[in-house]
Amino acid sequence: MDLHQFSDWLSNTPFSQSIQVTSWAIPGIQTVHILALATLFATALMFTLRIAGRGLSSEPLQNQAPRFARAIWILLLILLATGTLLIVAEPGRTITNPAFYAKMIMLALAIGITLWLTTVSRRQFGAPAGIHVAAATVSMLLWVAIIFCGRFIAYVESY
Amino acid sequence: MLEWLQNTPLAVSVSEDWFPWIESTHVLFLAVVAGTIFLVDSRLLGLTSKHLRVTYLSERLLPWTWTAFVGAAITGTLMFMAGATHYATNTPFLIKMALLVLVGVNMLYFQFVTFRSVQNWDTGRPTPAARAAGGISMTIWILVIGFGRWIGFV
Repeated sequence: MDLHQFSDWLSNTPFSQSIQVTSWAIPGIQTVHILALATLFATALMFTLRIAGRGLSSEPLQNQAPRFARAIWILLLILLATGTLLIVAEPGRTITNPAFYAKMIMLALAIGITLWLTTVSRRQFGAPAGIHVAAATVSMLLWVAIIFCGRFIAYVESY
Repeated sequence: MLEWLQNTPLAVSVSEDWFPWIESTHVLFLAVVAGTIFLVDSRLLGLTSKHLRVTYLSERLLPWTWTAFVGAAITGTLMFMAGATHYATNTPFLIKMALLVLVGVNMLYFQFVTFRSVQNWDTGRPTPAARAAGGISMTIWILVIGFGRWIGFV
């Protein structure tokens, strides 16, 4: 079974069909997805600024790291859940779409960097090193590109 | 008037070449606007960042909110121009604009009335008026995003 067949099979499952026939379901799920991405992006921005010694810098980073990490992982779970629903609802739009794959590759990288930074930040991490600031900056650029690719799924042709 | 707007070279260029880029940039700016506002609203509701002073959180977050809001307004205006005649009769668009006015009124009331007593509730749990402002703001912004997304489905 190739990707096109899988996509056809998925879109014919009763669950996918039930989302497709509910007119408000896709904009509704997309709205929850956007709300979560907004909160994730703002939280990641504050985490990055904090690593760079700016923003919410009134307390030690290792005290803040678990709170940043918890918020980021909870929001990512909501994004993965709503994103999965959107794929199931419209597999033909995503599963064979280059913008979707670019998004997933960058998402994996952003998650990897965030995992590393949250782990390092939990330890004594007086003044973050240049490498941490650089990695956090790269992760922010990745989140920006992920948002762009997410929107471009609607415009890039599936193969 | 709307037709003239839609036929300006800028509007034509947006609708023919740049719409996906402008729209993606709009999403990026709205993420910063809504995301930072939710963090402040959530503090006002007493749900998160409870150990941080309300004034401190606001002064660190809100400059980002305002800068991004300008960006969202500019990209939003460009998208409106690209389809002015269509959006002017698009119900979700009109509801979204009305909600933005409401959220502005809520913000002004909070800023000039409720916030004047902030020294009394800067730490700990905010007063009912401040919690109401946070709850109203969060609810309206959720609706703004919902109706904003809906614009493209009508």
